[in-house]
Amino acid sequence: MYSVYHLLIYSRGTPPCRFLSTCEGVPFGLADAESIFALSSGHGRCGVAVVRASGPASATALRCMAGVSRSPPPPRTALLRSIRDPISKEVLDRGLVFWFPGPHSFTGEDSVEFHIHGGPAVITAVLQALGSVPGMRPAEAGEFTRRAFQAGKLDLTEVEGLGDLIHAETEAQRRQALRQMSGELGHLYQDWTHRLKRCLAHVEAFIDFSEDELIEDGVLNQVDRWVCDLQAEMERHLKDERRGERLRSGVQVVIAGATNAGKSSLLNTLCQRPAAIVSPIAGTTRDIVETALDIGGFPVLLSDTAGLRESPDLVEREGVRRARERVEQADLTLVVADCADLPSDAQQAAAFLQEHLRSVLPPQEQPEMVFPADRFLLVLNKMDLLPEDQRLELDGELRRVSGFPPVCLISCHTKEGLHDFLTVLHSSVKTLCGDPLSGAPTLTQARHRAHLQQCFAAMAQYQRYRDLDLALAAEGVRLALTSLGRITGRVGAEEILDIIFKDFCIGK
Amino acid sequence: MLTKKLPPLQRFLSLVSRTGESCRPTAKIQTIGALSCNPSLGGVGKGQLVREVDALDGLCGRAGDWAGIHFSILNRRKGPAVWGPRAQLDRQRYRTFIQSELLSTPRLTVLEGSVEELLLSETNPEEPGTHRVTGIRLANEGTPISASSVILTTGTFLSGLLFMGQSESPGGRIGDAPSSAGLSHTLRERLGLRVGRLRTGTPPRILKDSVDLSLAHLHPPDSVPTPFSFLNTHTRCKPEEQLPCYLTYTTPGVERVVKESLHLNCHIQQDAKGPRYCPSIESRVVRFPGRQHQVWLEPEGLTSDLLYPQGLSMTMPPDIQLRLIREIPPLQRAEIHTPGYGVQYDFVCPTQLSPALQVKSTQGLFLAGQINGTTGYEEAAAQGLWAGVNAARSALSMPPVALSRTESYIGVLIDDLVSRGVTEPYRMFTSRAEYRTSLRPDNADLRLTLKGFEEVGCVSPLRYQEAVRVRDSLQEAQAALQTLSLSSPKWRKALPDMRMSETKSTLLTGMDVLQYNDVTFEMLSSAFPESLSRHMEFAQRLKIEAVYKPHCDLQKKEIKRIQKEENMSLPQDIDYLTLPVSMSQEVREILDRVRPSTLGAATRLEGMTPAAIVHLLNYVRTAAQRERRNTKTPKGRERAGDVCKRGVLT
Repeated sequence: MYSVYHLLIYSRGTPPCRFLSTCEGVPFGLADAESIFALSSGHGRCGVAVVRASGPASATALRCMAGVSRSPPPPRTALLRSIRDPISKEVLDRGLVFWFPGPHSFTGEDSVEFHIHGGPAVITAVLQALGSVPGMRPAEAGEFTRRAFQAGKLDLTEVEGLGDLIHAETEAQRRQALRQMSGELGHLYQDWTHRLKRCLAHVEAFIDFSEDELIEDGVLNQVDRWVCDLQAEMERHLKDERRGERLRSGVQVVIAGATNAGKSSLLNTLCQRPAAIVSPIAGTTRDIVETALDIGGFPVLLSDTAGLRESPDLVEREGVRRARERVEQADLTLVVADCADLPSDAQQAAAFLQEHLRSVLPPQEQPEMVFPADRFLLVLNKMDLLPEDQRLELDGELRRVSGFPPVCLISCHTKEGLHDFLTVLHSSVKTLCGDPLSGAPTLTQARHRAHLQQCFAAMAQYQRYRDLDLALAAEGVRLALTSLGRITGRVGAEEILDIIFKDFCIGK
Repeated sequence: MLTKKLPPLQRFLSLVSRTGESCRPTAKIQTIGALSCNPSLGGVGKGQLVREVDALDGLCGRAGDWAGIHFSILNRRKGPAVWGPRAQLDRQRYRTFIQSELLSTPRLTVLEGSVEELLLSETNPEEPGTHRVTGIRLANEGTPISASSVILTTGTFLSGLLFMGQSESPGGRIGDAPSSAGLSHTLRERLGLRVGRLRTGTPPRILKDSVDLSLAHLHPPDSVPTPFSFLNTHTRCKPEEQLPCYLTYTTPGVERVVKESLHLNCHIQQDAKGPRYCPSIESRVVRFPGRQHQVWLEPEGLTSDLLYPQGLSMTMPPDIQLRLIREIPPLQRAEIHTPGYGVQYDFVCPTQLSPALQVKSTQGLFLAGQINGTTGYEEAAAQGLWAGVNAARSALSMPPVALSRTESYIGVLIDDLVSRGVTEPYRMFTSRAEYRTSLRPDNADLRLTLKGFEEVGCVSPLRYQEAVRVRDSLQEAQAALQTLSLSSPKWRKALPDMRMSETKSTLLTGMDVLQYNDVTFEMLSSAFPESLSRHMEFAQRLKIEAVYKPHCDLQKKEIKRIQKEENMSLPQDIDYLTLPVSMSQEVREILDRVRPSTLGAATRLEGMTPAAIVHLLNYVRTAAQRERRNTKTPKGRERAGDVCKRGVLT
């Protein structure tokens, strides 16, 4: 367990966003000369945050952010330094800096660690500052660990957990990204990607086909305008950070299940006020009811959703769609079932619940029907309606059958079992908060910003070479698309060709 | 080695002399080197392939220089990375050159006859595969010809069907029968290969005398022809002997004729996939109505009385073809010599091949050209060369070699084919090459010739020596440029024609200055003749190197990473479906279907996840470790697959 935790700490990264990509695998560096950075500690209640960077540009970061001019600083020694923005020289925080020259570091590369104050503003500022150091980019999922692996720094037992760990990370980041991409910002980035793809397709068409085809120089003039517009929009966006929606911090907990199982009652019980309307009528909750909670000191964003059922009612159907979307984005899902619906035979009840879980959770969460304990809780409500012996039998059966998430029997009505449930919930939330991956939108924003800056810079290459060398100009657009693709999903050559063939009549 | 269409025929020739006897059955010796479709070679993307084939000592570049009658570098104004060397060819000269090269190759026997069957036998247990090919049998004679490797290059002949109007007839090219049914049967039924169907077409050939070329736009060649081959300093055709091409456009009348005759056109109604980028005039008009489409009128040879109307590939009945072309002004009175027609043919889904172009399940069987789903002479030539290299290596019991997509267009082509497969005839475009700025036509020799000689064994000593000379001279010249280090004012003084806005006090080297748009190597050479004038031979290459260097240096990092992944090969006998690691069923199925040969190929698969890649990486690592340990112990070697499975479990 220790080794897994150890890996967990050092391997946060950024989502490759496979979910949005229409094709292609994930760009996946095993070891490269690029330098990467990431927040290595958890969020929530932490006094000190650790940001680490690895790769050749670490030395640059150390020099221009921690003002270490004498080279090299003593290795593996804490230095108290003002940490500055490399460009504006503004002081961001005062903290400890460690220098780990390769190969004696976790990744085997030159690495630097910044131990800074744990507030989100400071963390975001330091991450953004690192993003502007030449050669630095945000790490991808598991990238630190992979580099360590490449450098032969991990032993075999550690490596075995690595794949699963990266899977978990990718999933966590996918959910985080889903949350962001379903909003206004997501639409904006998608729109940019779409337009940039078209720019590239038209430049490529001009390169690959204009000698034989009716593709006039006008095509390029149009691309010039498109690139110009994109640059202007991106610049405005980068200058005004507060634009777009504010994302709320916290572990995203979603209550889901069949109608009338008592989901809204559970929400009201947890937040100790009647936040959601409850009634005996199935389908009372239609929209998402969201409330911010503090569970054992950790920030939680709790959502109640519409009961999942087929409904002829348009409004309710939309509610069900939103519910499913929310479940997909959740860090933790509380699947609620009504004890009164259960078959009296314990074995049949277990099978019923298995089926119930299957119907509530999105398909990709259930590859082999194993529900990780920290991602799902099964809540059986209305336990007061269940006779004592049946309750015990069911409890025993559910413990026996493998593949079940933790199960809590409660009654929102009598408050029975509530204390135990809160203990389980608290420990799940605590685990999630210790994980630097979940629920920190500011991190995702910092990452997006770094990629957008690179995208913006690459577009300048297009303009620089537009009239000198079209191959190098196109390379600029391609690099821009790659940077943006790290947010919205990778774009492959075939996709570009598809646009070319759609927009132009090509016949050699 | 059944070959019907010959431009793809490439040079396993130099390997022949090392491998011993080779034989090459062909249906008709006189059609070796016949250009089935357009009388031209090269172009954007395709020209890069010709340069690379030449750099590896393939034939088509030299044949093009010998047969070319109109040379031009396409994309001249768009940057050297995307220049497209191209030539119109004299069909007769091309065929003559190829035939004389082939027929005079020592220890190569050319046989006339159609291959009826592949001979199969027990597999070699030390290599993966479920079948092994041991030779071929020709259609008309009983005696089998035994061979340790066989390359199939069936072109459009495999179960070929020709279409014109509403009639269809078996054939691979007009006047030539399709390949034998026995061969198709062997591939499908006995070897169990997945086979698909593609279509293509060719335009009618037009009598030159019947065309009014004064109504078309004259398109002259480059005033100085640039040879394809790194070995040639000039082409056979003198600059002034070159012939022009002509450009004209379709009219609304063309569209009308197409629409009226669609019901008489069965090729166009078939659902076999045709290329989107070389469509028939029918599909162009249907997909993009109301537009003018370009038609190039190209010479077929110095003395030929035919014109090739590029862009007018069509499959309607001959009388309607005539009506159609006469709707185009210069062709108002045109006469058709041979009508256009469509071809449908079988191809073998190329994901069943290794990067060496060997059929994964069949030891000794290699495929190249259209049988792998590609279109075009250049694509075929590239594969023919690489299949030839590996067939010869396999016969010599040498390990297969692969070209990376980071070092060549040939590598891009083969990687796209074997790891992604095809859904339409595959053609090369420069946009398919991620490292386009590094993979330029000018440096194909430095990228491939040295490796071709030192590692692959397909390059002649003569060509190798030339490449070494070029490399050394370029290095020397670049070193000389680097040592020229002056301040901006001094540079301005030395090169008065240059506009240099820089006022920095830092010194600039000759390499830096050569990057400037208005600086040429010639200018530098006349300013510093003592150190530079002897490198004038490479003036253009040095200029290109200087401009691209910063960009290529950036790409090098990425390239290094990818090559590292590509150097990790995945055993072909991994049982992905039961591999005892945590991987989703979806990923298992993808891996099982495609069986990528390297970790690099696996990462590029659709639907792969980072987690799955790490599991595979771990797998390869453990396998390699175990392997090393086992070779040291007297227990002997175990199969890599078994070793890995336990490696993961422990």
